[in-house]
Amino acid sequence: MHVTKEFKKKTFLKQFLLGLHVSNSISNPISIQQRKNSIKLSADLAMAFARGRTHWTHALITKLGQKEENKSTLKGILGRRYEILMARYSCPLLYQKVQRRKKSVRSYRFSYNAQKRRSSALKGSCVRVSPSVVARNLENRRTKVLKRLVPGGELLNGSALLSEALDYVISLKAQVDMMKSLWRATQVSSSSNVELVPSAPLQKKDASCTIANSEE
Amino acid sequence: MSSRRSHSRHSSASRITEEEINELVSKLQMMLPDAPISRNSRVSARKVLQETCSYIRSLHQEVDDLSEKLSELLASTDTDSAEAAILRSLLMQ
Repeated sequence: MHVTKEFKKKTFLKQFLLGLHVSNSISNPISIQQRKNSIKLSADLAMAFARGRTHWTHALITKLGQKEENKSTLKGILGRRYEILMARYSCPLLYQKVQRRKKSVRSYRFSYNAQKRRSSALKGSCVRVSPSVVARNLENRRTKVLKRLVPGGELLNGSALLSEALDYVISLKAQVDMMKSLWRATQVSSSSNVELVPSAPLQKKDASCTIANSEE
Repeated sequence: MSSRRSHSRHSSASRITEEEINELVSKLQMMLPDAPISRNSRVSARKVLQETCSYIRSLHQEVDDLSEKLSELLASTDTDSAEAAILRSLLMQ
């Protein structure tokens, strides 16, 4: 489950850059809001690709592909892979199941009481609800929010949900760090009006050093 | 259907995953931003879940803010220098 940061960085940047490029070429001029959405889309897609194949990356790509406004950009980024990926990742049956679960909280409570009634009818006087059900209910109540936050979390339980959440947090953190350093790099370059200077020595990220070189 | 589920099967399954869950909870604890210095004290699993949820939400918010900042920045500069900056950070990694 370990994500080697080096691998992730290069993949993320490549994918992110591609996404920005595509969204620029699709609609030009582009509003700030539109650009923000495509930046977010590129970042999420890049994060999913950088991580590889996990439950949450599949769910995330599916979610992204289902939004109408993302489709043209996604097609541009993924090209021929778009059809394949969308077919592979979107399982309409699964999502129907999730939607049904979301709508039927009340009906769940009904069925729970019905089960209690049923078990009491079977076992006589005492109402015995199996401890597995009680434990599951408690767990579901506690993890309700987490399930909503982690992509694909609604379909997971227990330790699977926790390990997916851990993985997702690690990747999110990396995504934020990457975007921060990109922002800083873009800021520096735009403020000092620098184009890619081939003679500038490529050192470890040291913003002050870059500025100093450009001023020479 | 649920009456068919045997007690023994579930309890054995929960016995196996009990340690797993504790390990995952402690790993999550380590990921969270303000981890107290003494990690020997066990924070309750529920607290860790809550903090994980709020941490994920704050990370989502950061991504949103950064996207907005990048969008404004890329709007003002021309694409070439922006891509140059990105390429430079790519090479530096």
